[in-house]
This record gives sequence, C-alpha cells and structure tokens, in this order.
Amino acid sequence: MIVKILNLILLLITPFLMVGLIRKTKAFWGARKGASIFQPIYDFIKLMKKDSIFSSSTTSLFKIAPMINFACIVFASLFAPMVMGQSIINIQGGLILFAYALGLSKFISLLASMETASSFEGMGSSREACFTTIIEPAFFIVIASIMALCKVYTFDSLNQVIANSGSLGILIIIFAIACLFIMLVVEGARVPVDDPATHLELTMIHEVMILDNCSQELAIISYCAAAKMFLISSLIATLILPLSLPFWASLGAFLAIMILISIIIGTIESAIARLRMSHIFEFVFVMSSLALVVASLVALKLYGV
Amino acid sequence: MNFYFIGIAILILGAIFSLAVKNPNNKLKTISVFSVIGALNILVASIKTFISGANDFVFNLGSVFQNVRFSLDNISAFFAIIIAVMSTLAIIYSNGYLKPYIEKGKNITAHCLFLIMLMASMLGVVVCQNALMFLIIWELMSLSSFFLCLFEYEQKEVISSGIKYLVYMHLSVIFIIIFFALLSIQAHSLDFNYFYGVAKENIQLANLIFIFGFIGFGIKAGFVPFHNWLPDAHPKAPSHVSAMMSGVMIKTGVYGIIRALEICSIPTLSTIYLVLILSIITALYGISYASVQKDIKKMLAYSSIENMGIIGIGIGVYLLATHYEYPTVALIALCGSFAHILNHSIFKELLFLSAGSVYIKTHTKNMELLGGLIKKMPITAICFILGGISICALPPFNGFVSEFLIYMSFIKALDISNFGVFIVILFALASLALVGTIAILCFTKTISIAFLGESRSEHCANEDNPKSMLVSMSILACACLVLGLFPQYVFKYTLLPARVFIDYGCACKQIEFLSTISKCLWAFVGLIILFLLIKKAISNKTSIYSTWGCGYNKLTSKMQYSGASYTSPFLNIVKPLFKRTRDVKKAKGLFPTDAHYETRVDDIEETYIINPILKWDEKFLSKFEIIQNGDIQQYIRFGLAFLALALIVAILII
Repeated sequence: MIVKILNLILLLITPFLMVGLIRKTKAFWGARKGASIFQPIYDFIKLMKKDSIFSSSTTSLFKIAPMINFACIVFASLFAPMVMGQSIINIQGGLILFAYALGLSKFISLLASMETASSFEGMGSSREACFTTIIEPAFFIVIASIMALCKVYTFDSLNQVIANSGSLGILIIIFAIACLFIMLVVEGARVPVDDPATHLELTMIHEVMILDNCSQELAIISYCAAAKMFLISSLIATLILPLSLPFWASLGAFLAIMILISIIIGTIESAIARLRMSHIFEFVFVMSSLALVVASLVALKLYGV
Repeated sequence: MNFYFIGIAILILGAIFSLAVKNPNNKLKTISVFSVIGALNILVASIKTFISGANDFVFNLGSVFQNVRFSLDNISAFFAIIIAVMSTLAIIYSNGYLKPYIEKGKNITAHCLFLIMLMASMLGVVVCQNALMFLIIWELMSLSSFFLCLFEYEQKEVISSGIKYLVYMHLSVIFIIIFFALLSIQAHSLDFNYFYGVAKENIQLANLIFIFGFIGFGIKAGFVPFHNWLPDAHPKAPSHVSAMMSGVMIKTGVYGIIRALEICSIPTLSTIYLVLILSIITALYGISYASVQKDIKKMLAYSSIENMGIIGIGIGVYLLATHYEYPTVALIALCGSFAHILNHSIFKELLFLSAGSVYIKTHTKNMELLGGLIKKMPITAICFILGGISICALPPFNGFVSEFLIYMSFIKALDISNFGVFIVILFALASLALVGTIAILCFTKTISIAFLGESRSEHCANEDNPKSMLVSMSILACACLVLGLFPQYVFKYTLLPARVFIDYGCACKQIEFLSTISKCLWAFVGLIILFLLIKKAISNKTSIYSTWGCGYNKLTSKMQYSGASYTSPFLNIVKPLFKRTRDVKKAKGLFPTDAHYETRVDDIEETYIINPILKWDEKFLSKFEIIQNGDIQQYIRFGLAFLALALIVAILII
C-alpha cells in the first residue's frame, strides 16, 4: 500500500524535477549557472494563475482536451510498474490499458491542435501521428517478448528478466532499454527528435502542436509530456532493478536511475543538434529493428533456434 | 422461432403496404413502423433462443429442395439481433435522409421495397439450414443490395460501381456453390445437419471445402485480395444503405465463414496460418488505404475492410489455439471476434450515418472541401468523434473491449511453446498495434479536416439535420459508450455463440476479467469527470482571440492544413504500398492565370492486377465482335446455317 501511494506521489512530482534536472545539465555543459531544478514547479504554479486566451476557431473540445489528456496519463500510470517494480493496479492486460490510455491522450491532443485551424499545428500533429505508428508496434513487440520470456503475463514481468534468463538476459535488457530510450526521446519530445527550446515552428513536432495553448492548459500539457517521459523511464528502471532489493535500496536505486536518465538526456541535448526531419524517421525506425532483436533473443532463449 | 417468422412476415407485409401508400414520406414512415415491429419480434425470438436453446422449423417443399430446415441457434440469434436492430435504425434514419430527394421528385417506391427485402433476406440467410434455399436467399440479399446501391442511377459512376459489385457477388456465389456442392455430394443431402459427417470421414477434403467456403464468403466480407468491390460500392450508395451494407451485410460473410468452420471443423495447420496471415494483411491493407482517402465514405469503406481483418485475426487465433489445444485462449479469441462483429456493426453504422448527415447538408463527400462543421452541426460532429474514438479501440468505448479480448488472446497464446506460434503471434500483436495507431492517424485526420477548424469552401452547413436522423445516430453513440462501460453484461451474450465451438467450463473466468476491465474503465471515466470538474472550479478569466499565425496576420481558412498533407509523412514511409499519381499544372508568367495541383492514390491491387486482367479480357472478347455486329441479315444467315447444321447432324445420326 505504501509503495502504491508513493508511486502516485512520485508521479506528481518527479516529472517536474526531471525536466529541471535536464535543464540544469544543459546549463552545466553550457557553462551557465542555470535555474534551480525546482523551476518547472514554479513555472507550473505561475501558469496556473494566469488568465486564458482561446482561439476563435476552437470550441469546448479544445478547452477540455488538456484535462482529458491529464486523466489519460494518470490512468495509464496506474498500470505502469514503478518503485519496487510494482504497479498500482496489477492485472493481466495492464499493458494494453497502459498503451491505449496513452493512445487516447494522443488522439485528443491531435484533435485539439487541429482545432485551431493553424497550418503549423497541422504540421506538428501529422508528424506526431506518424511517429506513433512506428513506435507502438515496436513497444508491443518488446513487452510481449519479455512476457513470453518470463511466462508472466502482467506488465510487471519486466522486473523478472534477469531472474529468468541469466546472462542472455543482460543482452535482452540492454536492447530493450535502447528501445525504450528511443521511445522516451520521441514521446517526451526531446533532442534529437524534437527540441523543446527551439523557436522555429517549421521543424517542431510536439512543441508546435501546443502553440495556441496558454496558462493553465499549457501548464497541464507540459506536465503531461514530462509525465510520459517519467513513465517510460520507470519502465527502464523496472527492467534494471532486481526484485530482491529491500524497500529503501530499491527506492534509492529507482530515483538514482531517474536522475541518471535526466542527466543523459541533458548531455545528449548539449552534445548534438536535432536531426533533420527526414532523418528522424530513420532514427525512430531503429527502435523497430531493436525490438526485433529483442524478440529474436527471446526466441533464442526459449526455443534454442 | 415462431416469433422469428412472424417478424419476417411483418416485414414482408410492410413492403406490400408501402406499395399501397401514395405519399413518399408516408411510405418511409410505413416501412419504419413495420420494421420496428418486425425487429421487436425477432429480438424476442433471439433472446428466447439465448435462454432456452436452439429450435428448428422444417418446411417440406417437394423433391428438389428436400426438407427446408430453418434453425435459430445461438450463432444465428446473435447475428439476427445485429441485423434486426441495425437495419431498423438505418431505415428510421432514411426518413430524414431521403427527404431532399423526395422534394426533388424522386420516386422511392422500389427503394423502400428493396430496403425491406434486404433486411428480410439477411434475416433469412442466418437461419436457413438448407444449402439450396440458402443460396436463393443469399442471391436475394445480393440483388436487393445491388438495387439499393443504384439509387442515384443517373450518375454514370454509380452504375459502373454497381455492376462491379454485382460481378464480385457472382464470383463469390460461384465459390459458395462449389462449397455446398462438394458438401452435399459427400453427404447426399442438402441439409446442414448431414454435412457435419464429411469432416469426420475425410479431413483433407474438409480442409479443401473450407478453403472454398472461406474464399466465397470472404469476398462478401471483403477480405484482401477480394475487397475491391467494397470501396467502390459503399461510397456510391445512399448513406443508410452503406450503413446497412457495411454495418450488417458484410457480417453475413463472416457468418458464412463461421458456419463453414462449424461444418468443416478445424482445418490443417497451413490453412490456419493462411487464414491468420490473410486477416493480418487485410487489416493492415484496409487501414493504410483508409488513411489516405479524401472521400469520407470511401475512407469508411476501407476501414470496414480493416475491421473484417481484425475479426479474421480473432478467428485465426481461435483456430491456432484449438489446434494446439489451449481452450481458454481459443475461447477468448473467438469471444473477441464475436464482440468485434457486434461492435463494428455499431460504430461503423454510426460513422456512415454521420457521414451521410454531413453529405446531405454540404452536398460533398470530399473532406478537403469541408471544415468547421462542429460549430454548425454539433450533434453530428460529436457522434462522428465518438464513433471515431470507438473504432480506434480507445478506452472507455466498446471497440476497446473487443480489441482488448483479442490482445489478451495473443498474450495468453504466448504460452503455447512453439517457435512458429511465437513468431506469428508476435507478428499479429505488432500488426494489431500498428493497425490501431494508423487508425488513430486516419480518424484524427478525418475528424479534424471535416469537422474542426474553419470551413474550407462554400460547402458548409447552416444547421443540423432533422431529428429522425439524429435519433438513430445518438442511439448508436450511446450504445458505443454503454457497451464499453458494461462489457461483462453485454458480452456474456457473445460467449454463447462462441460456446457452440468450445464447450469448456472456462467461460465463467472470462466474465470475471471483463468485470475487472469494466471497473478500470469506470475509474477512467471517473477520473476524466473529476479532472474536468476540478478544471471548471479553478479556471480563470478567459478571452477569445484569433489563432496565432506566427507573425502573419492575414490568415484565411484556405491556409489550413489539408488532409493530404496530414497523411503525407505516413505515406512517404509506406510508399511502395500505394500508387500515387500527381496532376500538376504550374503557374507561369508574371500574372499567372490558372494553376492546378491534384494527387490521387489508387489501390495497387486494382491498378496492377484487376485492371490488366480486365484489359486483357476486353481485348480477347472484342475479337468476337465479328459475330455480334448488329447486322440483322447476318443474324438470319447464322440462323440458317445453324438450321442446316442441325438438319445434317440429324440426318447423319438417323
């Protein structure tokens, strides 16, 4: 029970801190002092106090979209394994509820951005919709392969890979993490796919979809993007952490992995520029190939072929 | 069963009555009333079957037909409910839809007659258990839908796509005739009951027979590569007819496949893989083409192909699991398939009716000319959005529940320790995920281009449609939500037909996990409502301003993103799947007069396989033009020559 409540609290706070830490890392590599890592929380509070402006083309669909988006994220997070590799609701088919709740959030945010009748936002949504078509199948292949490997058919099977497959398991974990990391970069709209700090609308993806959102809506949407990043990071953490750790060690290791992932993302953002649009597709397709590698490794382990 | 016949009799009576009524508006009202009463009778009969089991009814129609047996078992009752309810809603909707046509003075007598005939013949198909009678009713169904398609026969394309439909249906009937002929030769009877023995005696033959049945009924259901009639016939028919055809009639093809399975029992492993892989291809092919269409109804037709594929995937997994003796997996897969049949008929009908409602007001099916309809036609738009969410299988709507069942069957099928199964199941899982995401792409495109933003041309609506149209749509939209939130009560009944195939005691467990899902989905709805209420409580002052044009302030509604651009990144990834043709006329000179840019995406199967065959066919047949040249003298000469020949032959023989 404590773990479950802790999961919820982490879900509400960690995304902000991860974004703050990414910015701090970027500032460090840029030899700047940078804002405090709590800055995203202050931004959130500031935005919540502001008045809203809506486009004259929009209807109430646009107004309710951020909140539905938020509900989807919270609902999806109920099924994702977090601290101690435990999810809040652990049922068979949690994977499907997780993926499809995120799907609904995407559906609604695509509609909301198209509602503004802005061609920039159309551009962003068309790209976002297209990337999803590449990511989702790969994600399902990875998780399903791991389920088949562990013979556990809930989402928590992620934490049993090592226990089930020994040294080959390490290889499987490495490829699965690579897969999830690409997914993290794409879904969380980070460099090299998308640059949250850019000001050139033509090349943006997720950021351009929310051009017409402001104040409370913008605050919620930014939180949702960060929360997606946190959810996928916690999947990575679940893959790595062994089950046998005691509670405090497990919590500490979980947080350490979150910090590490944020620093890695920050470092990547400082080191390389975003990719050209046509190369982004190639980058995202790497995930599919990696997913197939995971599947074949699992087949190797299970059937020895 | 008595109620069932009374229901059909009432429908026929309604058709006769409608002939007597003079005023065309009253004609439609008459058939609506009769179809409601008929549907109620059929519902009573079907529910009685669910409770008390199957019952038979035998007519003796002489030596040709032998005994014609009608039987209402669980499978028939399941399909009969779908047919009765969905057709009735479509007929009620037609009251509003046909009004503008009636005002223009169009005669709808035949249309009313065929509407009822289509409904009655579909109801007949699912209970008939005599091969010959089945074929007759099947043809009746194809023909009446053919005539319904030809409603706007003044247009040339309507006639040509109607003919195409007719040709495909005859192709399908050829295979179905072979299917029944092989069976009845083996069984020495036309009655389905005697067919079951064939599979027991000769498994290889039963497998072959099943393949014939699968192709024959697959043409009706629109499986790739036999799908080509679907995207042509559906957009050309009036919307309530396309709703009936796509929502209900193609399900009779699935019914046929399921009956074929029941008769031929489990086919060989290679056939199972064939069915599964063909279904996966169908789903992917359908949704890929759906996403690039401009015509709303054509998009929906392709999406029907996709959903037939999903139903087929469920059946395929059922066969695979039965082959390896995993009854739980088989039950979940088949139950998911049946649930998807029900769900698809609901949301596809909803989407077709909403699309028709748009067409009636704006007079165009091209979504690139629409836009901003949500402000003028809010109920239609909301119905379409809800239908879109359901068809993308997103929670908490009904589409999610059936796809969830199919996904669960995949995940549980991973338990089957077999390399081939592992690979195929992973492939199917990834494909279903891919289909789901392309569906999101496809439906966000359609919704946002047609309903959101600003109007793109003069094709705009001023008000929503009359109530008779909106009622049908709202009922269906509510059904989508209710079936999503109460799956455990509703899909109990999809277990009943599934249990015809698998009589194991694992059915109860099934319901338990559906009720867990139901709880989760309720929690989801609760979360959404809670957050919306919080938002309402904390929201600040709002003001309205025009959309930000990134510094440019002379935006017009034509500068909005178009549907073709929306799908172009996706289209670039899957280039080889499509044949894209561009028609470009560039603007030239200092004062350009006209410029033109058009892209079209053609079906590769049509371009590379069907059209060459047709061309060759035409070339070959045109050689016989010498014989039929319209010259009467020559025809008389032929006659004389034939008579002479006959005389010579007769003399020689004697």
